[in-house]
Amino acid sequence: MNQVDTSPNAIPNVNLRQVGKNKPRNDSPTKVYGKAIYAGDLIMDDMLFAKVLHSDRACADIKSIDVSVAKTLPGVHSVLTADDLPATNAVMTDMPGQVGGGTKNTKQPILAKERVRFYGEPIALVAAESYELAQRALDLIVVDYEDTEGVYDAFDAQKPDAPIVYGNDNIVAAYKVRKGDIEKGFQEADFVLENTYSSQYQEQAFLEPEAAVAWVDEHDILNIRSSTQVVEHFRAVADALGMPHNKVHLQAPYVGGGFGGKEVMTIEVWLALLAMDAQRPVKLKQTRENSFISHGPRHPFTITHKTGVTKDGKITAAKITLTSDAGAYAKLSPYILLYATVGATGPYRVDNLWIDSTSAATNNLPTCAYRGFGTMQATTACEAQMEELSKLIGLDSLEFRRKNFIQTGDPNATGQIIRSAVWSDQCATKAREALGDKPKSTEHTVYGHGLACYQQSYGRIRWMKDTSESWVGLEMDGTLIVRCAVTDIGAGQMSALAQIAGEVLGVPMEEITVYFGDGHVNPLAGTSTASRALYMTGKATELAAKNVRNNLFECMAEYFDVRPEELDLGDSKVFVQDNPERCMSVKDMAKHCAAQGVHRHSLEIYRAPPSEGLDPETGQGEVFPDFTYGAHAATVAVDTDTGEVTVIKSVGAHDVGQSINRQAVEGQIEGSALMGQGFALSEELILEKGVLKNGSFSEYLIPTSEDVPEIESIILESRSGLGPFGSKGIGEPVFSPVAASIVNAVADAIGTRIHHLPLTPEKVLTAINEEKTKEAAE
Amino acid sequence: MQYEAPQTLDAAVALLADARGAARVLAGGTDLLVQLRSGAIEPDLVVDIKRIDELKKITAEDGGYRIGAAVSGAELGEHEGVRALWPGVVEATELIGSTQVQGRATMAGNLCNASPAADSVPAMVAADATARIVGPDGVRDTSVRDVATGPGQTSLGRGEIVVSIFLPARPARSGDAYLRFIPRTEMDIAVVGAAVSVSLDDEGTCVAARVSLGAVAARVLLVDEGARVLIGTKLDDDALQALAAAASAACSPINDKRGTIEFRTDVAGVLARRAAQTAFERAKG
Repeated sequence: MNQVDTSPNAIPNVNLRQVGKNKPRNDSPTKVYGKAIYAGDLIMDDMLFAKVLHSDRACADIKSIDVSVAKTLPGVHSVLTADDLPATNAVMTDMPGQVGGGTKNTKQPILAKERVRFYGEPIALVAAESYELAQRALDLIVVDYEDTEGVYDAFDAQKPDAPIVYGNDNIVAAYKVRKGDIEKGFQEADFVLENTYSSQYQEQAFLEPEAAVAWVDEHDILNIRSSTQVVEHFRAVADALGMPHNKVHLQAPYVGGGFGGKEVMTIEVWLALLAMDAQRPVKLKQTRENSFISHGPRHPFTITHKTGVTKDGKITAAKITLTSDAGAYAKLSPYILLYATVGATGPYRVDNLWIDSTSAATNNLPTCAYRGFGTMQATTACEAQMEELSKLIGLDSLEFRRKNFIQTGDPNATGQIIRSAVWSDQCATKAREALGDKPKSTEHTVYGHGLACYQQSYGRIRWMKDTSESWVGLEMDGTLIVRCAVTDIGAGQMSALAQIAGEVLGVPMEEITVYFGDGHVNPLAGTSTASRALYMTGKATELAAKNVRNNLFECMAEYFDVRPEELDLGDSKVFVQDNPERCMSVKDMAKHCAAQGVHRHSLEIYRAPPSEGLDPETGQGEVFPDFTYGAHAATVAVDTDTGEVTVIKSVGAHDVGQSINRQAVEGQIEGSALMGQGFALSEELILEKGVLKNGSFSEYLIPTSEDVPEIESIILESRSGLGPFGSKGIGEPVFSPVAASIVNAVADAIGTRIHHLPLTPEKVLTAINEEKTKEAAE
Repeated sequence: MQYEAPQTLDAAVALLADARGAARVLAGGTDLLVQLRSGAIEPDLVVDIKRIDELKKITAEDGGYRIGAAVSGAELGEHEGVRALWPGVVEATELIGSTQVQGRATMAGNLCNASPAADSVPAMVAADATARIVGPDGVRDTSVRDVATGPGQTSLGRGEIVVSIFLPARPARSGDAYLRFIPRTEMDIAVVGAAVSVSLDDEGTCVAARVSLGAVAARVLLVDEGARVLIGTKLDDDALQALAAAASAACSPINDKRGTIEFRTDVAGVLARRAAQTAFERAKG
């Protein structure tokens, strides 16, 4: 079921022909028929197959690496260790994409040299005639390790005598927010509540493990076809190999999911090195087990909230500390920590605020981008605290939230004034209504309702000066082409551009060809990350299409003898608005305009609004272009004898600004309902002294199709966003509140709260039994 | 590695008996292929028994059913006779893996893989099922309890194959049930499994019972004390409570990432109690 909000603050008189409609995506047929080509599908003559030697320990000195026997194995064409690499042996793991500034320049060794710092760190690369041969070569490599003392906890890493993993003190990043008068705020409070919440590692578990083929072509250009969210990695590959940027060509075909796991470079640089060394095409398709250690999982966070509230339910002050485990290398940890810091207070206005946040390096797996990017972990803690506060003061939890929601024009945690619509209340109200009545408890089943709201940015950090380009052109026969190097990671990025260009130029999306994912043929569009692909590439495409339309209208106005603004395009026709009988087909228009020498193409750039960073002392400043607001609600059943939690109903209600494709929006809401459910209930990478203990799908439990609850998507449209047609980013926003709502539902069902995720049956059963014991004692 | 798919049982036994190195029997392959691909095992010979006709049949015998070793879970699930007689065994077998896995996985394979957490085995033990084994020395029948001797270990001799499982006849007013605990709905290895089979007299009093637990010891357990406390009762609350206590008391599980000793012990009692209730309802008809 879907609802379109018709609140008075929606922009009226929007007359959209394709945008916002429930249209099959352009990429559906090729995927349904199994024709879509993914990176690992490419087969080339003389192709070699690669394997990577990963460290089997988390913290050790490398005394020696002996590859002499491996190299002699017939059919093995390249064996590389750090000694064979350019002296820098470093690859950028910092913010990739079309960014102009603001990067932290955090580099990571391509291959471990004298030391391994985490379990799975790559040590050697092999290319051979087959995977089996490559594996045999790996087995012949002898690495002499000497284990050293590591540190495996983000708090231990900050102690004075901790082994140093990163920098001088293991501190990868730290932020603070100082706003208002925290002491005065707590004095004004009737109640002060302090709680600590913590969350676990989560694996992206995309359908397609990392895969790529690299080859050097007849022009000595290094080509890489890879499953990546970011084709702009060609620069980092070139820098790592000491090559000019224009000699590395990175293309992304359809990508089988990313969720942040293919944001930072994964396997591309390894293949680049092997292809250059062997001078033959080299392919690597990661096994699922190796995939678990080839990209960074979600950061575990520990978050303490101390909150002051009046008995009427107004938040007077908040003191919040956040600590994340960055693992052995920085990767994107500083940015993820910043997102968590901004998101620490959720969608609530807190004028007296004190936040300290720290990301510490350990010898655990390096953590990295994952849908929600820190905001999700912050939301999970914040929404638990909101629920506990409302319980403390005896107020309905939505009523309590209403008293504190940020409104348009209010400042958020870093003092950024929110300019778009804030429909937290509408979304939360609708989400909760959709749950209906709570089922009655039975012999050993209790039920709970849970709600969570959020504030999630879309678009990248403003001082990165993010840009996106797109090209739209009308062919002589009236067909449309869009060229935009956006990577299509499965969310319908390509299809959305067809819909947007088609809307502007009056051509059905099905008839539009979009060239995507190839950064040397198409204009660079930036990353498919940060909920910015639709926002940025869609906006660039909208602008380019409008340029083309303006050129065409100028010519056609003369033809119809009207002013250009009197014309419109729709149903493959150009027509006079007041007299639609006066029309011409787009096909004839194209021919006519071509004959007149009209410029029927446009390359346009969209620049996100910039800013110059935060005040380091107060943490105040403009961090993001804008934010999405909404809510998720869930009903759970808990088995009081086994602790098993079953999600019965899951409802996402979000102000998406403007849906471009309703099916795609529903897909995002439904997918996030499952992903959030996994985080709340069962997913957790288990590390023992840094060593991964459950790196496979038989041990790491994601929800299956049998675990899907009834899911309802409620789509609200304020048309107030920065994206095309007033859209807001949704990829991450719709995910961020899901786990929190399920966690709150479990707390509602069992009458007590578990502070550390995930809520495994064992933890839930223990909590139920403790609560029983407590009640008996009382 | 040599792969053979003989069409007769004699040929299969001869191949296995004559094998020089390590040999494995392949039925559905849902365990064996995973072990092969991961490199956990490297047999010199794999003998596929799916081409042997007699192993692909379900036959009525002495009021019970003989299930061939190559019969898949999906085929078993579609057999109305077995479903009616031993619904708990069928539901246990159908819990192995997923719909796709069901198309291949077999009860005999589940038994011979010798995992203490095998789903179908507690149900077979509760059913007092017999495994028929054929080897170089001929045919022998043995209780399914005696096939697995420890995790991954069986009592099968060189060249021996489990060719069928026999589910015996049972009195009217009998029922069985199997329950498994995993943290999600499918595709996982049991944290605990519990099977109960009961027979009732005309008054509805339990006259015979068997209780079996999986994943709580090195082998699947037969819990005699659990059966004892049910017999002579109508499975009232006290009897069920006593069953739960007996089940928990029988457990000697390990701590691992799937569950702690305490949790497994606790949940074994819960599942035994619930399985008994379902078996009782089925017996009453």
